[in-house]
Amino acid sequence: MKIRNTRDGWGAGAQLLHWLIAAGIATAMLLGWIMVNLPNSATKFELYALHKSLGITILALVLLRMAWRWINVVPDMPGTLSPREQKLAGAGHMALYALMLLMPLSGYVLNSAANFPLNVFGLVQIPNLTPESETLADVASVMHLAFFWVLAAVLVAHIGAALRHHFVLHDDVLRRMLPVRRR
Amino acid sequence: MFRLRSRAAGRLLLGLGLAVIVSALPTVASSAATEWAIVHDESRLGFEATQQGGRFEGRFEDFSADMRFSADDLAASRFDVTIATGSVNTGSSQRDANLPDAEWFNTDAFPEAYYVTREIRATPNGYEAVGDLTIRDNTHEVVLPFTWRTEGERAEMDGAVTIDRVRFGVGQGEWRDPSVAGHAVEVVVDLTLER
Repeated sequence: MKIRNTRDGWGAGAQLLHWLIAAGIATAMLLGWIMVNLPNSATKFELYALHKSLGITILALVLLRMAWRWINVVPDMPGTLSPREQKLAGAGHMALYALMLLMPLSGYVLNSAANFPLNVFGLVQIPNLTPESETLADVASVMHLAFFWVLAAVLVAHIGAALRHHFVLHDDVLRRMLPVRRR
Repeated sequence: MFRLRSRAAGRLLLGLGLAVIVSALPTVASSAATEWAIVHDESRLGFEATQQGGRFEGRFEDFSADMRFSADDLAASRFDVTIATGSVNTGSSQRDANLPDAEWFNTDAFPEAYYVTREIRATPNGYEAVGDLTIRDNTHEVVLPFTWRTEGERAEMDGAVTIDRVRFGVGQGEWRDPSVAGHAVEVVVDLTLER
């Protein structure tokens, strides 16, 4: 497998970024869900710190992924897809990219507006994006939760579509994001 | 003759007395260290602490102090500081809403914290104050290294010392955990004073 993409397949770079980010998003969503429902405790705050660190890491990976996509060819969608399906897939992926940026950004703004410090994995402290503002923190909090639900819905569609391609349509769509030999 | 003599002696005595008083005056002045008033607009009694591993700054908006300091009379120098714990400001309304609570400063029960020096001594880098810091009725000795620069009628005092918040009972229960807020808190004293 090549590092870079080709016209008909994703290279190792794109695959690595896809799966790293996928694992990061799943963990961050799960952590977020658990931590907000915990009563105040040391564990709760440790989960918050972990969630924030993970979110910033995902944001960096997403930016890297977009840059990588920009300097690579994007593989064509299989010709078996109708123009309508291709358009829908394109819109879905666009939404995923937007949400992958908005999700960590709204969290970062939320943390900044609360004027909480953000130390990524105890390694480096990053500056706050905004001045202290209760109103802004409230708005960012609502947005962060709203994006969570939209992202959850789009992810269900994304995973559902990938499985449909693999198990129903028997095409290469899922397989070409996996480090396996293509049929 | 005798009368004259006695008058002369009286003058002499009076003169001597005055001389003694006058010569004693500088001694009296130097044995009481200079009293300094804090210029609050240019002063900060603050701290640096960590929350979830990230550093943040805070300050006490309301504090008063009886400050006596003369570099040439450290024995008579002393600081007596009273801090209104409820005036804590860390620039985060969420955080500041918690700090007056019973687990933190418990401002209802302990509205004031104190720092009273017992000794001020010179060090190679400046000075250090040996004093008792009392927060929430917990008193522990805290040695504060500081520099003091007098310029005319004004003076600048800068000092910093790291204390353990847990020893003073600040942040109890679930807040005791260092991953929530680090135990080490650096107290920063940055004062402008005038005599």
